Amino acid sequence: MPDVQSMVLEFVNKLRKRKIEGSQATARCTVELLRSVISHHRVPHHANQASALIDAVKAVGAQLVAANPVELAVGNVVRRVLHIIREEDLSLATAAVAGLDLLDASDDDEDVNGKGIGYTAMSAAVVAAAARSTLRPPSLQTLLEGTPESATVPYTSSSGADSESKTADKSSITRKLKHDVIEGVNQLIHEIAGCHEQIAEQAIEHIHQNEVILTLGSSRTVLEFLCAAKEKKRSFRVFVAEGAPRYQGHLLAKELVARGLQTTVITDSAVFAMISRVNMVIIGAHAVMANGGVIGPVGVNMAALAAKKHAVPFVVLAGSHKLCPLYPHNPEVLLNELRSPSELLDFGEFSDCLDFGSGSGSPLLQVVNPTFDYVPPSLVSLFITDTGGHIPSYMYRLIADYYSADDLVM
Amino acid sequence: MWRRSASFILDKHQNNKPMSLTPSIDSPPPLSASVADENPSPNHISAYYQTRAAHHEIVTSDWLEQAQAAVRRYPDQDSPVSEKPFSVIEEFNKWRQQPALAEAVAAIRALAAVIRASDGNTMMELEIELKKASDTLKAWDTTSISLTAGCDLFMRYVTRTSALEFEDFNSAKSRVLGRAEKFGEISNKARTIIAMLSQDFIFDGCTILVHGFSRVVFEVLKTAAQNKKLFRVLCTEGRPDKTGLLLAKELAKLDVPVKLLIDSAVAYCMDEVDMVFVGADGVVESGGVINMMGTYQIAIVAHSMNKPVYVAAESYKFARLYPLDQKDLEPALRPIDFGVAVPLKVEVERSARDYTPPQFLTLLFTDLGILTPSVVSDELIQLYS
Repeated sequence: MPDVQSMVLEFVNKLRKRKIEGSQATARCTVELLRSVISHHRVPHHANQASALIDAVKAVGAQLVAANPVELAVGNVVRRVLHIIREEDLSLATAAVAGLDLLDASDDDEDVNGKGIGYTAMSAAVVAAAARSTLRPPSLQTLLEGTPESATVPYTSSSGADSESKTADKSSITRKLKHDVIEGVNQLIHEIAGCHEQIAEQAIEHIHQNEVILTLGSSRTVLEFLCAAKEKKRSFRVFVAEGAPRYQGHLLAKELVARGLQTTVITDSAVFAMISRVNMVIIGAHAVMANGGVIGPVGVNMAALAAKKHAVPFVVLAGSHKLCPLYPHNPEVLLNELRSPSELLDFGEFSDCLDFGSGSGSPLLQVVNPTFDYVPPSLVSLFITDTGGHIPSYMYRLIADYYSADDLVM
Repeated sequence: MWRRSASFILDKHQNNKPMSLTPSIDSPPPLSASVADENPSPNHISAYYQTRAAHHEIVTSDWLEQAQAAVRRYPDQDSPVSEKPFSVIEEFNKWRQQPALAEAVAAIRALAAVIRASDGNTMMELEIELKKASDTLKAWDTTSISLTAGCDLFMRYVTRTSALEFEDFNSAKSRVLGRAEKFGEISNKARTIIAMLSQDFIFDGCTILVHGFSRVVFEVLKTAAQNKKLFRVLCTEGRPDKTGLLLAKELAKLDVPVKLLIDSAVAYCMDEVDMVFVGADGVVESGGVINMMGTYQIAIVAHSMNKPVYVAAESYKFARLYPLDQKDLEPALRPIDFGVAVPLKVEVERSARDYTPPQFLTLLFTDLGILTPSVVSDELIQLYS
C-alpha cells in the first residue's frame, strides 16, 4: 500500500510540473497507475466492494485532476476506469441473480413461503434493467421508474438464503470482480495505445487524389493519418502552418518530408491567404468537449474560421481518451494554460520593458502566450475517432457510452 | 410570377360572419369562468395563459411561502370522496391554484388522485379510467403543451410493463400511486437541479438577458445571487403580461442589478449581453422550444450576434410535437390591451407563444443534465419506443 501511495505522489508531482507531454502518454500513465491502485487495494469480502473500489479510484483521481486541470485526458481516463468498474459489477450482479434464480427454483420447490416467491418474482431481467439504468445517464425513463439503491441488491437478499453453495459462490464472485476490472482496464490501455492505427485506417476514405490538406501544430495522429493515405498510393500535398512560438510545424514538416510527402510551410498569418487553395483542414485535438467543441493548439480557431468562410471541410482527429464529458463554460480562460513569455521575447533584449522593479511596480509591456484555443462546434465538419466519423452533435452519444453520469463530479 | 393571394381578406369575411353578434373580443372573460368544468374558451382564449397571468399578478416570494404552508394543511381537509362523484378537473384546479406548482405536475397529482379514488380491480380497468381522466384534462385546455406532455408521460408510465411485474393488484396500485407522488415531488427538485447545473455558466461580471417570468430561470438567478455571484440582468418588458416588471421587482429584492427594456430594444442592447436565458412552455421533438411570444425574435438576434441562448426546462416538458413553422401550433390566444380602444375593422395578433427552432439554441438545462438540442429527439425516441 505505501508503495502505491508513493507512486501516486510521484505521478502527481510529474503532472504538476508538466513533465509528461501529450495526452496519449498522460492517459496511458494514468491508467497504468490506476491499475496498480486497483490491484493493490484490499477489497472487503462482503457486499459493496464495487463501491470500495470506486471510492479508492475516485480519491486518487481527484488528486490527479487537481494536479493538472488543463490536461483533460487525466479526468477522462479516471472516469473511464470508474465506468468499467460499474459495468463489471453490473454484469456480475445479473449473472449472480440468474444463477441464484436457478438455485432457488430447484431448492424451494416445496417451500412456498411468500419471501421465496417474492424474490423470484423480481426476475433477473427486471433487476438487470433496473441496475442498467443506474449506469446510463438520467433519462425520462429512469425518472419515472425510480432507480434501486445500488446494484448490490442481489447480494444482500441472497444473504437471507440458506444453501452453502451460495456463500462459496459469493467469495468467487468477489475475486472475479477485481479480475474483470483489471481485464477491462488492460483493454482500455490497449485501446489508448492503438488509437493512432484505428484512426489512420480511415484516412483513405477522406483524402482523395491530388488534394491539398492544411494542418496546424504537430500531432502524431495527423502524421499517421496522412502517412496512411500516402501508403495507399494517394498523392496529395500538405500545407503546414508553423505554429509560432514553438514552431512545431517545422518538426511536422520535416517528418512528412522524410515519409515522402510534398509539403509547404506557411506562417500562421498566411492561413487566411492560402485557405482558398486548400481542399480540407485536418487537425489533431487536445480534447473534445461534450457539446462537440474542440480544444486545440493555439491558432486552430483562426484556421476554423477561415475554413468556414471558404466552405472548406474542417476535420478533427481525436482518440477516445480525448473525449471529455464536461460542457465548457469558459474554455478560453479555464481550460487554457499560459506559457512562459520567453518563448516570444528574449529576456535579455527586453529586460527593461519587462522589469517589475521600474516605476509603478508592474511592467508596461505584457506578454501573453496561451497554449490552447477553443473551437465552437458550429465550425467543425467532422470528428474522426477510433470508432469512426461523427458530426459534432453526435458526440454526446459516445460520451454516454463511455462514461457514467455519477462520475462527472469528482 | 406567383402573386400572393389575398386570402387573409377571405378568411376575415368568414370569421366575421358568425362572430358578428358576440361582444368585443378584447375583453377577457372573468377568471372564475375558467374554473368551470366545460371548456371555458369559446373564443379560444387560452386558459393556460390566463392562469399564468393571474399568478403573475399575485406572486411575491412571501405570499408564495404562505400559500405553500396553507396548501400543506389542505390535504387533511379533503371532503370524503364518496359524497360526490370524483371530478378530475376539480382535483386539477385545486392543485393548479398553487403558483409554485407547474401545470404538468398538477395534472400528475390529479391523475394520482384518480388512481387513489378508483375502485377498479384490475390493471386494465385502472388504465381505462386513467385514460379517460387524462383525455378530459387534455381536452380542457388543448393549448397547454406541458399539460399534454405531463399526461402523456404519466400514461406512458402506467402502461409500461414494470408495473405489471407484481401479481397482486393492490400492491401494484399502491406502487403506481407511490411513483405518481414521487413524480409530483420532482417539480421543485427539478428546478433545484437545473439551478445547480447552470451555476458554472454564470460568471462574475456577466450580463444576462431574460425574457418572460419563468420560475425555473428565476430559481437559477436566485441561486446565483445567493452564491454571491456578481452579474446583472436585462429583462424585457414582456407585453402584455408585464412579466418584466414582476421579474425586476423580485430580482431587486435579491439585490441583483436589473435593467428593464421594452421588447423592441433587445437588438439595441444585444451587444452588451453575454447570454440569453429563457424558460420553456414545451420542448419539442426537433429540440426547439415553445415559449412566450418574443422568444423567437430574441433568439434570432442573439444568434446573429453570436450570443449563446440557454433554455431552462424540466424534463416533463418534452412533448411529442414537431412544428414545421409558427402556425403549426394549436393557437393559444390571449387578450391584449393597447390602452386605447382598437377600431373594429383592425385585427390584432393575439397569439401568446412562438416556436424557436433548434439552430438558434445553444444548450438546454434540464434535470436530466445539460443537453444540446439534438439530444432531445434521442430522449423522446428512447422513451416512446
